[in-house]
Amino acid sequence: MFALMAWRNLRQGGRRTTLLGLALAMVTGLLVLLMSLSDGVNDSMIKGATSLAAGHVNVAGFYKATPDEGFPMITETGKVKAVAQEAVAGLATVIDRHRGWSRVVSDAGSIWAALYGVSVEQEQRLLQTLRPARLGDYVEDLDGLDPDAREGDMRDLAEADTAMLFVTQARRLGVRVGDALTIRTETLRGQSNTVDVRIVAVMDDLGLMSNWSIFLPKQTILQLYGLDDDTTGAVMLYLDDIERAPQVMEQLRTAYAEAGFDVMEHDPRPFFAKFQTISGQEWTGQKIDITTWTDEVSFLVWVITAIDSVSALLITILTIIIAVGIMNALWIAVRERTTEIGTLRAIGMSRGRVLAMFLTEALMLGLFGTLIGAVGGALLAVGVDALAIPIPSQAVQAILMNDRLHLVVEPAEVLGVIVGFTVMCGLSALWPAARAANMPPITAIHITE
Amino acid sequence: MKPIVELMDVVKEFPLGKVTVRALRGVSLQIGRGEFVAIAGPSGSGKTTLLNQVGCVDTPTRGTVRIDGQSTSELAESALTKLRLHKLGFIFQTFNLVPVLDLAQNVELPLLLKGGLTRGERDRRVREIVDQVGLTEQLGQRPNELSGGQRQRVAIARALVTGPNIVLADEPTANLDSATGEQILDLMERLNRDQETTFIFSTHDSRVMAHARRLVTLVDGKISSDEATEAAA
Repeated sequence: MFALMAWRNLRQGGRRTTLLGLALAMVTGLLVLLMSLSDGVNDSMIKGATSLAAGHVNVAGFYKATPDEGFPMITETGKVKAVAQEAVAGLATVIDRHRGWSRVVSDAGSIWAALYGVSVEQEQRLLQTLRPARLGDYVEDLDGLDPDAREGDMRDLAEADTAMLFVTQARRLGVRVGDALTIRTETLRGQSNTVDVRIVAVMDDLGLMSNWSIFLPKQTILQLYGLDDDTTGAVMLYLDDIERAPQVMEQLRTAYAEAGFDVMEHDPRPFFAKFQTISGQEWTGQKIDITTWTDEVSFLVWVITAIDSVSALLITILTIIIAVGIMNALWIAVRERTTEIGTLRAIGMSRGRVLAMFLTEALMLGLFGTLIGAVGGALLAVGVDALAIPIPSQAVQAILMNDRLHLVVEPAEVLGVIVGFTVMCGLSALWPAARAANMPPITAIHITE
Repeated sequence: MKPIVELMDVVKEFPLGKVTVRALRGVSLQIGRGEFVAIAGPSGSGKTTLLNQVGCVDTPTRGTVRIDGQSTSELAESALTKLRLHKLGFIFQTFNLVPVLDLAQNVELPLLLKGGLTRGERDRRVREIVDQVGLTEQLGQRPNELSGGQRQRVAIARALVTGPNIVLADEPTANLDSATGEQILDLMERLNRDQETTFIFSTHDSRVMAHARRLVTLVDGKISSDEATEAAA
């Protein structure tokens, strides 16, 4: 009956309850949308990072022929892979890629790019993730070409001296499938070397990282840098559960040390940020560097932090406004129902029960408001994601790490928002509810006599 | 016979701005079980203040109030709440029903607060008492759908449903027309007779006083007379 009283009192609040409930629903909906956006960016980042630049766990390292210069590569690829496969249970895939950094030149322009040398038969994950881009997205002068046509096939990377790049790069280089590029870099011995490659595929962008990632056949990289067959840039491990990455990293650290490898201290930065540190160290030879995917994209985490910070600020302000609104509404209700409170106290309702009655009203309002807002926000997020709305601005694409609006609804987070906001409503009501509970029962009987 | 209500030299003072109002000036009174007592007096004489002391919704500035032998000034707020719940019933001048509950729920409320009864037992007691006040037909109606007389009957049912020793009524007929007021007083008298519940009600209406078997008159916060009425004879 007490819940019924709370519910009916809320309904009796009429416009005040409706407006407050709506405000609560809107703030909750907005929070769910912002969280979905943040999760979407996170998802894009994971997808981009773990497709283009890193495995869930990466066994890479540096080779130093002299103390002054380190090269991002490991020798004994076969043995490195074998240790990982033996030490880690729940491995989905193990691949290896060469890494490099070079100038890429076309007839129309040039860019700096990270090179990934791949064996296309290992790259099922990449094949499933990437999609050839529409000509209309990167060819300026279509001249009778179908803008919706998608040219090229990533599997052609099996042929020597080929390259796969992304829309933004193709636009900047003014190239399309079949055109030639010149890759220019320095070998391990400090000599300049170039190779001409043919573009076999131009893929849709996959977040910020596709701006500077170019894929070549492994053999082309070996040739370009003058490396042995048994070398690679990184052995990338994909796990059944990405959440296990930090634990697997620690496990591998022990396994490689026991297998006789010299393992570097954990440094949570991407490999290219470590050159200066490595060059300043005295050692020569091979050291193994084990990282998780988050380490390799740590330079991008600021985007998520920024989105989360802006969301937190916005939601905090709105939450304070709502909390004050709830408090105010409860104050009014307490004032309007002074006689009722006094009557209830006079007929034997305890202070605790009066407190609980007002808290129940606030919690009920909170629960209904947040439930409507959270469900509405989640449905809107799912709808927007399904529409895959293109993002026109490249700057926004870079920030959101996707060329389309991508929102991910995490049910546990939505539930957390509902619980959190409902509790906030209860806390906001504490003061007026305590005031009501402490009201002396004499208020029910006029003391004018 | 041991009195169920006992006031000994009760003084009640209220601060009002810079002055102190003495609403009760040393009231001593004993009321026995099953009495039907009217507290009469002009406006401002201290009737409601006296009822507040007996009803444990207020405490005296000085003096002692005993309910069923228990001194109220020795009790903590939670114990006073329990005392009100178990031993007292209230009927207010303005009915004071909970507007969001229907008739049956208003009557059931004290039983819920008291606890210890199954839903079936509560329903049975509600129906019994509602039947006694003659509102069986209106069980599902909300207070705003009832007339003033019907609302006061609901208030009486609510006051009696827990089987209290004492029912306090503050000007129970003041907001009712005279015919309905008569009916309410007849009902209170009948319930007093049938259940031997002590009724103490305040009034300044001579027609209402005529129903009481004992009339305590207050003037300026003091008892000016305390006598049996013709109705007692």
